[in-house]
Amino acid sequence: MSVFDNFFVIKISVKLLATYRKKLPEGTKGCTCQIEVPTHSVVRHIVEQYDLAFDETNVVLLNGRVTDPEQKLKNDDVVCVFPALAGG
Amino acid sequence: MNGWHGKILKINLTDQIVEQEEVNPGIAKDYLGGRGWAIKYLYEGMDPSADPLSPENILIFATGPLTGTPAPTGNRYMVVAKSPLTGALSNSNSGGEFPTWMKRTGFDLFIFTGKSSKPVYLWVNEDQVEIRSAEHLWGQDVHQTTDILLAETDPNAKVACIGPAGENLVLMAAIMNDKHRAAARSGVGAVMGSKNLKAVVVHGRKNPLMYDADAMQKLSIEIAKEVGVAVKAGSALREYGTAYVPQVTNELGILPTRNFQSGQFEGVDTIDGLTLKEKYLIRPKPCYRCPIACGRLTEVAEGSRYDGKGEGPEYESISSLGSACGIDNLAAITKANYVCNELGLDTITAGMTVAAAMEMYERSYIPEDDIGKPLRFGDADMLIELLEKIAYRDGFGDILAEGSYRLAEKYGHPEIAVTARKMEFPGYDPRGSQGMGLLYATASVGASHMAGDTAYVEVFGVPEKIDPLVTEGKPALLKRFGNAFVNIDATGLCVFLALRYVFDADINLWPTRLTKLMNLTTGANYTPESMLQAADRVFNLERMFLIRAGFTGKDDTLPPRMLHEPLPSGPAKGYVVKLDEMLPEFYQLQGWDKNGIPTPEKLAELGLSEIVN
Repeated sequence: MSVFDNFFVIKISVKLLATYRKKLPEGTKGCTCQIEVPTHSVVRHIVEQYDLAFDETNVVLLNGRVTDPEQKLKNDDVVCVFPALAGG
Repeated sequence: MNGWHGKILKINLTDQIVEQEEVNPGIAKDYLGGRGWAIKYLYEGMDPSADPLSPENILIFATGPLTGTPAPTGNRYMVVAKSPLTGALSNSNSGGEFPTWMKRTGFDLFIFTGKSSKPVYLWVNEDQVEIRSAEHLWGQDVHQTTDILLAETDPNAKVACIGPAGENLVLMAAIMNDKHRAAARSGVGAVMGSKNLKAVVVHGRKNPLMYDADAMQKLSIEIAKEVGVAVKAGSALREYGTAYVPQVTNELGILPTRNFQSGQFEGVDTIDGLTLKEKYLIRPKPCYRCPIACGRLTEVAEGSRYDGKGEGPEYESISSLGSACGIDNLAAITKANYVCNELGLDTITAGMTVAAAMEMYERSYIPEDDIGKPLRFGDADMLIELLEKIAYRDGFGDILAEGSYRLAEKYGHPEIAVTARKMEFPGYDPRGSQGMGLLYATASVGASHMAGDTAYVEVFGVPEKIDPLVTEGKPALLKRFGNAFVNIDATGLCVFLALRYVFDADINLWPTRLTKLMNLTTGANYTPESMLQAADRVFNLERMFLIRAGFTGKDDTLPPRMLHEPLPSGPAKGYVVKLDEMLPEFYQLQGWDKNGIPTPEKLAELGLSEIVN
């Protein structure tokens, strides 16, 4: 890995919960995987990468907080998606 | 009458007399049914300041007009009484099969007054009503009691009963139906025990009449089909039950952990729905005619020290018996859930009370001699042992049987108890879900998620996602949710279906489709406005019951941990519940004065002036 790779790529975690867990790569333990994405990626890109929509059918969290779809990502961010559904 | 039978069964346990009463159609409409009718009869039938474990308390089993109809999930009932845990109201809801069978007896409500001199059970087979001896059942657990009663009444009957916990007046005793289902919260099982009433057994074929049966059938099928499409597309509730939720609340930093000392649990992966599905699930177990099927039939195999078979755990039991106690062993949590069901305990209060005791032991607030051995977070065997001791009021269990508020007070550290109106919090730390904080502080029943669960929007994004950390707009949100939950509890539906399919899909929660269901069922010409006004009427009469029981606005509060100790980590790090930012606006929206008392104008608007004066 060159110094430029670090410059152009960031590492984030993707957490897919409930029925979306199946969209994680096979062999993933738990519900989280680490991926590398280009810098300047935004939350919406990650959601769409897993064939999910950033709309009212899903809850999308960035580091556990509600987020704007166009929010830019940084290293070690956690993007979490689960279907909007109740409850407990 | 249509929908409602319009008939109430009144059982005077002191004199062993049973009477039927017809319901006035105007009252029927104004109070909806279920929770609504129940508060009307409770308010008029007893002194709200009476001792809840005395014969003066009234115990009401209440079905709604949609219970036992084709409406999907129209299979719930409410247990209403004055609560011995809180001194306020009990409003406990349950499903399973019992509610529909109760409705088929031809009665909407059973109202129990007084106290039997000896243990009895009630057997209702339509108009054949008998108060029978239950002396042979006293001391039996829920499973044994149910099996014996089915054998001596009718194998197709349904049973609601108490276990040893209810008999021993444990303040967290539940009323169990169909063995595994619970009207759990705030000690309704102890009220039943105080009346020497061991069980209620029901059977019948009197389905409620429908105002427009064809149209009702058509609309019910339409709703069931919509649920079916959603389930086919992948339903977390069907696949994992509510056990998928720990991951969600953990991600938001509001999963109760070690008695609410934090909101994130390092063992969350081992206690969630996937683990449950892979290791212990036999199959989903629906309530009667439910298209969702969130219930879990489970088994921990022989050979495990936690072996057993039963139903659960669902989310609340996982958080209270699991993360709140620092326990990451799902087999142990499942076993603890079975024990609660068999002995008739509310899993939430039982787990949270043991969690409080664990924290107090670790802080050296409880001497080890009082417990008999160490009691540390994560000790699953001690949890299970203490659950049994609670149910039998054995040793230290006798102290725990009073709940965490009285436990913490007894040892001089009331700040450890995480309760509102002395009732333990359910599985959403309100520091990271501000609307839930306002709910716990103001709900008539104390800290319950089932009185207007704003977590639907703050956590689950239903019908839309709103930032859980802001306070702005939460009083109005809770007012709408509070009314929606009255509508659901009064009509006899399940919240899991109702909030998605019978209210409009935005945060105004307009009951368009619920109104249609009610009109096709009852023919009572409701409008969405009159449905909501009826909810408001019920809600305010419940509030007046509390006021008459001695509560004031000062009781609409939360424990110090929630108001002054910020969450230490996670997305809600640094947050406390900002109750003072929400409470005055909530009072104003409700039409209550600054002390939280409904104004005379508000009571007049709802037609309550006469009943409360």
